[in-house]
Amino acid sequence: MLPEPFTPQFLSQLETLRLRTRKEFLGSQTGSYSSPRRGTSLEFADYRRYSPGDDLRYLDWGIYARSDRLYIKLFREEVDLFAYIFVDASASMACPSPQEKFLPATHIAAALSYVVLANQDHVKLHLLGNSITHAASPFYRGRRRITDCIRFMTSMSPEGPLELATTMAEHLRRMRRPGKAILISDFLMPAASYQQGLNLLRAFNLDIAVIQVLTRLEVDPPFANGSLRLVDSETNAEIGFQWDAVARQEYQTKLRHHNSEIRSFCHQSGIHYSLYVTDLELDDFVFATLPAIGLFK
Amino acid sequence: MEFLNPAALYGLLALPLLLIPYLIRRKPPRIIFSSLLLFTEPARRAARRPFGRLRLPPIFFLQLLLLTLLVLALGEPVFSVRAAKVAIVLDNSASMQTLEDQQTRFALAQERARGVLADLGATGQVDLYLTVPRLEKVRGVTFGTAEAAGIVGGLEPSDLADAPIDYQKTLSGLAKDQEYDRVYLITDHPALGQADILKVITVGQPRDNYAITSFNISHSSLVGSRLEGTAEVANYSTKDGRIRIVLRAGGGVISSRELVVGAGKTASANFAGLPTHPYYEVEIEAHDALPLDNRRFAVPPASQNFRILGISPRPQALSSLRSIPGVSLDLVAPQDYEKTDRTGYGLEIFHYSTPTALPGNPALYVLPPDNNPFAGLDSPVSQPVVSSWRDPHPLTRYINFALFRPTFSRPLRPRVSGEIILESPAGPLAFATERQGVRQLVLGFDLFPYLGRENLPVSVFTLNLLDWFVQGSGATGRVTGQPLTFGTAQPGNFLLTPRGDKVSLEPGSNRFPATFFQGIYQIDRGTYRELFAVNIDNRNESDLRAPTPIEIRDLSSRGDKFAALFSIWPYLLLLSLLLLFIEWFARPRPVRTAFGPR
Repeated sequence: MLPEPFTPQFLSQLETLRLRTRKEFLGSQTGSYSSPRRGTSLEFADYRRYSPGDDLRYLDWGIYARSDRLYIKLFREEVDLFAYIFVDASASMACPSPQEKFLPATHIAAALSYVVLANQDHVKLHLLGNSITHAASPFYRGRRRITDCIRFMTSMSPEGPLELATTMAEHLRRMRRPGKAILISDFLMPAASYQQGLNLLRAFNLDIAVIQVLTRLEVDPPFANGSLRLVDSETNAEIGFQWDAVARQEYQTKLRHHNSEIRSFCHQSGIHYSLYVTDLELDDFVFATLPAIGLFK
Repeated sequence: MEFLNPAALYGLLALPLLLIPYLIRRKPPRIIFSSLLLFTEPARRAARRPFGRLRLPPIFFLQLLLLTLLVLALGEPVFSVRAAKVAIVLDNSASMQTLEDQQTRFALAQERARGVLADLGATGQVDLYLTVPRLEKVRGVTFGTAEAAGIVGGLEPSDLADAPIDYQKTLSGLAKDQEYDRVYLITDHPALGQADILKVITVGQPRDNYAITSFNISHSSLVGSRLEGTAEVANYSTKDGRIRIVLRAGGGVISSRELVVGAGKTASANFAGLPTHPYYEVEIEAHDALPLDNRRFAVPPASQNFRILGISPRPQALSSLRSIPGVSLDLVAPQDYEKTDRTGYGLEIFHYSTPTALPGNPALYVLPPDNNPFAGLDSPVSQPVVSSWRDPHPLTRYINFALFRPTFSRPLRPRVSGEIILESPAGPLAFATERQGVRQLVLGFDLFPYLGRENLPVSVFTLNLLDWFVQGSGATGRVTGQPLTFGTAQPGNFLLTPRGDKVSLEPGSNRFPATFFQGIYQIDRGTYRELFAVNIDNRNESDLRAPTPIEIRDLSSRGDKFAALFSIWPYLLLLSLLLLFIEWFARPRPVRTAFGPR
């Protein structure tokens, strides 16, 4: 049983999409993504001199007629895609509640997984949380595996702190094939932390996309004016805080600055970045925002 | 502006309590948030302060204003409209001599009165009243404010006890009759309630006090010549006290005692074998609030031998009294009574007779004619039986009434209030009363002749009777305000008051009413002096711990449109309600948020 947003109509729309990669990867099977290797696709890649034993069907007879030399036309190989979707499963994703933040994040992940699966590509899900055990799924292929994807993502509840670089390194240690990496997180962490994590992904020659998920309550906290005791959901650190209009404005300024730092870093690093505020409809985000940043072809 | 219920203003002291909910709210709700990354350093600094930063929201000040207005409204504030005609009633009873920080309460009352006069302005009219001996206008005239201030300064407290005045009724009547704009009562009694016309100004605080509550000098027995004194000291405080009591006479100290008096208790000191002096003074050495009641005076019984004047148509029956030691008897016929000088007699016995006017001396009426003022007489009863008697009573002690059998009796029908001492089935046989401070006893049977041991119960009754009259004559002092009664004044007789004032006595007069001060009053009769001890009636005056409050209700029923006070508390109450209404809407409602307190 698929969750509520995944209606047949929504799934049909997802099937029309394909992930866009800006890098070429070595696939395992024939697919629809270009590979650095030469192959048999329709996309011309290069010429090379004829060697005995080459398939005569690929001789460029035009060149032979003009230059009396034999050249073979080379075509790109098209392979399948390995997509890695990383979902932040730390305690901050359960704040204010898992239904308001973590669930929308998994819905995005599921939607992107379905896009990959529908193209007969491979998708592997990683839940970045406290425990590394059972935090990565096997590769799924074929659209019927979407239920496995969703089952996997709902198998774990978000909890504990997240040290992005460390956790990411653990996950990447087991990674063998390059491909497309999509990181879904609230990115409510110091800049150094997320930059280290993203740099690790870059080091693995992955084509990276980042989706920042925030709730409306985090964008504009509805605290009543007065004194508050704020507790960090991950570290349990506690501070007293005087909340008023000035503090609200100060907080929002900080958040804007923080988000623009993430966007700026992603831009400089060739990473797709998008912000999803969870009160936005999922299909609007998937079919309008993500294509706009070039995530889909 | 003034307050009719100033006690409510103590509520202002409770206003800081309003901070408590805000301080409690300082323990802020604990909210779990995704990350504290974006909460800025200044906030963290604020959190590190011991109590954080106390920020009071505007609603606090609204609530503070609301509560202040409510408390002020409860205080019943009024604006005084300048009164044109006022009465100032000064309590001049003995308790107003109580010292309050080196000043008497009466001096404080004078100051307050002058303050009232100063507020009144130069054009006001003032009537001054004193409360004792009765509520009376000073000099019977109305004063201007300047003149009244001078008169107030010249007033002084008396040694009289509080007059039994219903201030509520009396002063409201006074305000109505005399058309006063305001009546100020300045007293040491607290007021319960206030009214717009009547304002009670209380001076002084509850205080601890010691007092001599009684002092008597008497013969040790009816026939004895030795004198003894008894003084009773009361401790009106919450601590036990050791008191030295000193007996003075003839210009020197003749005896002293140490007494331990428990808190709220009394203790007695006896002085036996006293030498004869014209009068005695007893004093306790205590530095307490009211010095007046630390002294008390007494005079010894009028004479060493008890002098009796017998008036009887059958004098031989009375002459048997001469057989009692210490008793001297003069006998006159009833028709000669008016011509007789009755000075110095401790008892007059009217045997089958009655005087035309009430005698100044204590009197015994034995089967008086029916025209006597005290009791009518019923038909004779032979050998009456005494069915009930007053017990304990000095007249009935040591008597076996089973053996008490007069030959005959005529039951009495009392015409005045008094005590029935003996009663037979047919009616009262002995009836005691007191008129103008003088004891009177009416008997419905004949005691005489005095038969000694031959008729022991009746003889014992006779001796009790003489002893009772001895106790009631002279040795027991009078209280201030009670008129002195004495033998008929002769031309040239005068009276010397304790303050040294010499008052000429009208020939034929036998009363002096103005006993306003404690001490010894002396009547100079030329050849000898008659002394009377007058002491304060300190049943209520000496106990300064909790003065009786004066109950005042609203007296503003004058029926005219003028009001000396303009009440603003209804407007304050209305304003409070308006603020409450505003507060209801302005109060921030708790925001429903997913980030609820955890």
